[in-house]
Amino acid sequence: MTVGIEPHRTASADLHPVRHLDAFVVMARRSVIGFFRQPASWIFGAAFPLLIAAVSASAFARATSLQDFPDSRSFLQFLLAGTILQGTLFGSINASTDLALDIENGFMDRLLASPVSRVSILVSRLAGAATYGAGVTLFYVVVFRLFGAPVEGGIPGIVVMVVLAMVMAIGVGGYGAAVGLRTGSAEAVGNSFPLLFILLFISSAFFPVELMSGAYRRVAELNPITYVIDACRHQVLEGFSLGEAVVGLLVAVAFAASTIAFALLQLRRKLADVS
Amino acid sequence: MQRHFGEVEAVRRVDLEVSQGEIYGFLGPNGAGKSTTVRMLTTLLKPTAGRATVAGFDVATSAHQVRRRIGVALQDAAIDPLMTGNELLRLQATLHGIGRRAGRVRGAELLERVGLTEAGDRRVGTYSGGMRRRLDLALSLIHEPEVLFLDEPTTGLDPSSRQNLWSEVRRLNAEGTTVFLTTQYLEEADELAHRVGIIDGGLIVREGTPIALKEAVGSPTLRLDVLATDLDEARTVMAAFGEARPAREGRIAIGLENGANRLAEVVRALDERNIEVLTMELDAPSLDDVFADATGRRLEGADEQGEAGP
Repeated sequence: MTVGIEPHRTASADLHPVRHLDAFVVMARRSVIGFFRQPASWIFGAAFPLLIAAVSASAFARATSLQDFPDSRSFLQFLLAGTILQGTLFGSINASTDLALDIENGFMDRLLASPVSRVSILVSRLAGAATYGAGVTLFYVVVFRLFGAPVEGGIPGIVVMVVLAMVMAIGVGGYGAAVGLRTGSAEAVGNSFPLLFILLFISSAFFPVELMSGAYRRVAELNPITYVIDACRHQVLEGFSLGEAVVGLLVAVAFAASTIAFALLQLRRKLADVS
Repeated sequence: MQRHFGEVEAVRRVDLEVSQGEIYGFLGPNGAGKSTTVRMLTTLLKPTAGRATVAGFDVATSAHQVRRRIGVALQDAAIDPLMTGNELLRLQATLHGIGRRAGRVRGAELLERVGLTEAGDRRVGTYSGGMRRRLDLALSLIHEPEVLFLDEPTTGLDPSSRQNLWSEVRRLNAEGTTVFLTTQYLEEADELAHRVGIIDGGLIVREGTPIALKEAVGSPTLRLDVLATDLDEARTVMAAFGEARPAREGRIAIGLENGANRLAEVVRALDERNIEVLTMELDAPSLDDVFADATGRRLEGADEQGEAGP
């Protein structure tokens, strides 16, 4: 059983060499453009953590006087790190639904039928999430500053937080991409979000681990998100710390590496039938 | 080639050869195996068995080389609605290694060619179905592919958009592009294809030039509607003039040797039996007749939709 299709031009000397870096950059650019052209998918995700922060800062204002509560100007200042992670998480899940949409609407096939690396196709799709992570971090820093909750670590501290947010955005995006590749459904990606939300609640996002007890505390101490939040929080409350930044970054990179590896596994599974 | 999905044999056996510079029409009803075949030929699906070469390269072992040489416009105009036409053309150009400036020039040429210059900076989500198809075609041509795959390119298009797309396919072919076109429209295959392969149930059941295929069917088809009470008697009368052909329930169809020359004879025979004729049509053989001859069924989407057996 054979099929043969002959081209008109038999010479291939005029073929353009594929530049993989350029291809990655244009696909990442598409991811960023597409993400920001759907404001409805991220504006609420960016605003919701601010509302939670406003309510919590008002309700728990006196919590800062508790013994073992970290030194801070206000509960709002304490909340900045958790709010950043929360906003990053919301936006990243939305960004990763775009990959599932590519599968649903067939655009993925167009990319797969072109001579570019499969890994590039996946990783470039997370560029929108990373850019959003950076943007939402800077936005929250400005808003909290306006309400009297500055970052004590100054510019270096803010840079650390931006980098951590970007890496975490890629990590969360990798998780969403894995779900999207596994199911091929944007809705399934959205529906997987509560799992991450629970992970955020069982961390130091909204309360210091030092004031937790029992099993809840043990889970929070094992939760990788706690380490990233604590690294950010150190920059906010105590000033810039390279050591804290490195610890947070290592955990964030490990988290991102594991979710992307999981997503690549799903991509490989999906492409098992592709030449 | 063969392709199975578990117990389902989507493509049971496809053997074909497309020559350089040819437009090959792959005609068949929904679910016949057309798109599965195209997905295998465009490296998007591995064959379960068999072998295929496109532009001289094996689709399974040299997929990357195949991808560099083919243009693909799949069934549902897979285009990101959030991007503009220009942005997508630049993306596609870069994916094929075309530099920024050359990509911009080539993109502008293609937009002009498919009549989308003015819409180039609009988001694709605002395009009509016809505009999306034309952009899809432009995207598949950005790297001047040696072989172009068009999977049901005119499905859902209005007649005017369909004519425009046909003109463009003819022009591309005249410039030297080999075209592999799947369609469920008889007229499309008849109009465009140099050769046609008819696929049904995952098998190629007929192959050849449209003229040769139609000639092989033989005589024109005479279709007759009579009162239900006269149906059996009319069938008996008609049987004397030619063999029964597939027709929808309540209608009679026969292959009438010498077509128009014998029409008066048929009318007289029916008149002698006092059979009232409601409608009578004489059609030269079409690709639908070829399909019916090969499968005993009419092709979905054809004029005689719903016909099933004599």
